[in-house]
This record gives sequence, structure tokens and C-alpha cells, in this order.
Amino acid sequence: MAKLVIDPITRIEGHLRIEAKVEGGKVVDAWSSSTMFRGIEIILKGRDPRDAWAFTQRI
Amino acid sequence: MKLFPVDPLQEAAESMGALGDKGLSRRDFMKFCTGMAALLALPASFIPKIAEALGGKKPYLVWLEFQDCCGNTEALLRASKPTVGDIVLDILSVDYHETIMAPAGKQAEKSLMDVVNNQKGKYLVVVEGSIPMKDGGVYCCIGGRSAVDIAREVCGNALATIAVGTCAAYGGIPAALPNPTGAVSVKEAVPGATVINLPGCPVNAENITACIVHYLTFGSLPNTDKLGRPYFAYGKRIHDNCERRAHFDAGQFVRQWGDEGHRQGWCLYEMGCKGPETFKNCPTIKYNEGTSWPVQAGHGCIGCAEPNFWDTMTPFYRRLPKVPGVSIESTADKVGAGLAAATAAGLVIHGIGRAISPKKEE
Repeated sequence: MAKLVIDPITRIEGHLRIEAKVEGGKVVDAWSSSTMFRGIEIILKGRDPRDAWAFTQRI
Repeated sequence: MKLFPVDPLQEAAESMGALGDKGLSRRDFMKFCTGMAALLALPASFIPKIAEALGGKKPYLVWLEFQDCCGNTEALLRASKPTVGDIVLDILSVDYHETIMAPAGKQAEKSLMDVVNNQKGKYLVVVEGSIPMKDGGVYCCIGGRSAVDIAREVCGNALATIAVGTCAAYGGIPAALPNPTGAVSVKEAVPGATVINLPGCPVNAENITACIVHYLTFGSLPNTDKLGRPYFAYGKRIHDNCERRAHFDAGQFVRQWGDEGHRQGWCLYEMGCKGPETFKNCPTIKYNEGTSWPVQAGHGCIGCAEPNFWDTMTPFYRRLPKVPGVSIESTADKVGAGLAAATAAGLVIHGIGRAISPKKEE
């Protein structure tokens, strides 16, 4: 059994990590992780709703 | 007619070799060099020098993305004509950029470390996105390493770092209150690094290019203000160069979205425009290769090039409490009428406007 880790995944926007379990040349299980967090939802709380588009647009 | 006694443009264009294959003519190249000289406020005599510099050896450049939305990358790559994007990618050796590079995983990390180890002190770094410091930096990790760890090594060993976008320059949206991840700017995360800030959300791609062209031409980065921003791009207030400024001076304001004034392209100050407190060259270089910019499109400036604008410039649709240099009781009407009546007073206001720093809204 081999464990494969690809981090960073490139040619995408954002940060992604993929881990895969390989058995007999086949992927038998896999996990993906988004490795960046900003907390836009937390930042948006209590703000003027008319401003929300500008914040969420930056996700 | 020859523009210059010697023709270094032709020479440089030829030395770039593959330009023709990419559909870039000598005329395009010359236009680019002229545009760069204009943007950097250099006299025309520098155009051949720029052309010559662009034909020289390629500097190594790595582009790091941390807490970002990729918006600055998009702004740079969305060039439709063979201008900024193509030329930058032709004159630079871009060895690491997650969004556009072919290698992934360990091979990608190797590309980065090869530059850091083999070109120590000689390469340029572009950073996009802020760096989270809270909880040991776990909120942004690449290849199992935290952003702060990577930034310290890569920016710390670089010749210079260009922080593109407001997140990399000042913390930006991740650092907006309550700053859940402890996000900071590149300069705060790596205080020892040589950093030039190009804020904007996103930055105008031409400003990135101009910084790099300046470096290639003069061997140094352009002069900056106390916020680390180059004067050529951030030395003037948006309000002072705004295409709608005449309407402000005449007291002609948009009062409601879609009203007669809005349709006529009047001043957006009453609708919350932050142009009077924002320093950037948007009115002249615009976005998407000079196509448009927010105010031209009919929306006020949100002040995206200023530090902490997500907190200090919001709510975006609330009128600034006062225009610098004008008493707080003045309405936009009075400001407009006053300026129209006395040009001399207007000049004084413009003169002292720059001394006023961004302030919190009431």
C-alpha cells in the first residue's frame, strides 16, 4: 500500500491538497483538503448588507 | 522618419527573437515601451533605454499565493492583446506560479526551491494574498508548510518582493475586522524583506509590469511613499484626476441609482464614492487594458488601494463625512458651489488634500 500526496495542486485558483491511498496500482481511498481559510463569513457578520457583494466577490 | 539616431528598439525587438512568433510586432513592442515610459512618468528619451533593458537577460521571478482570491493573477493574465501578459511572461523567467505552472506537488516545490537556493539574493518575488499568523500560521499551508514559513524563506532571500493587491500589501480582506486568522501583510510577516506595495483590489496589471520594467531598466524598484507604494502609481488622488470631477465642481451629483444625474454621468460623491480619500492612478490607466474603471462604469470608488479599506471605507454607500479641506457641515452642494465660485479656493483645497490622512467614518 502506498500513500500519494499532491500538494500544491496547481493550475487551479486557490489552495488544494490531495491524498490518495493506492493498492495494487489502484486508488482505493482519497482525501482532499482546502489548505487556506480566511473566514469571510465571520468577517461579514454585522456589516451593511449592501456591502456584502464586495466581500463575497473576493472569495 | 526615425525616432532615434540609433534604433535600439529594432535591436531589442530582434534580440527578443520569438516576439514575431507570438504575434508581437515591432510596433506593438514600441507602443508597449512608450506606454511604460508614460506610466512611469519618464521622458521620451528613456524609451530606447527601456527597450534595450527588455531585450536583456531574463530575471528569475517566483509568484507566491497565500490568502488570496487569485484576482491579481487574473488581472495580469487577462490581457487580450499581446501586451502586458505576454511581454511580462516573455521578459521574465517565471519559475513558480501555482495557477499557471505545469508541475504540481513535489515537483512544484522543487521549482521554487531551485530558484531560492540557486539564485539567492538575485530573484524577484511577487506575493499575492495575506499571511495568517494566528495559531501558528495553520490557516494557509502549501506543501505542508505554513505561508509565513514559506514567505520568510522565499522573500527573505530575494532581491526584492512585490506585494500585489491590498491583501499582500496591507492584509486586505482576511485582515478585515475581526481578522479571524490573524492575517498580516508581507512586510509585517517578513520585516527584513525588501518590499514594494502595489495595493488595489485587484491591482492594475500595468502597475505590476511598470515596476518590473523599472527594475529591468534602472536596476532598482521605483521610489515609494510612507506606505511603501510607488509614487508613479499612487502619488495622486483619484478625486483629483477623476473624469467626473467637473460635475463635482459644478455641484452636479447623482442622488439615486438610475436617476437623471446617474444617466448623465454626474459625480458619485453623494452615493458614497471614496475617490476623495484614495490614492491611485485608476482614472488614467483604468482596468482591462484601459477599457474602463469603476467610476466610468457608474459606481463610486470603494477605496480599494488604501490600508484597511474594508473597515475604514465601509459602508461603501455612505457618503464620506467630509471632503478633505472642507468643513464638516458642508453639503456636497455647498462644496460644488463654493469651488465653482472660487477657483483659487479650489486650488488651496487640492493642495492641502494630500496632507489629510484617511480617517474613520463617524
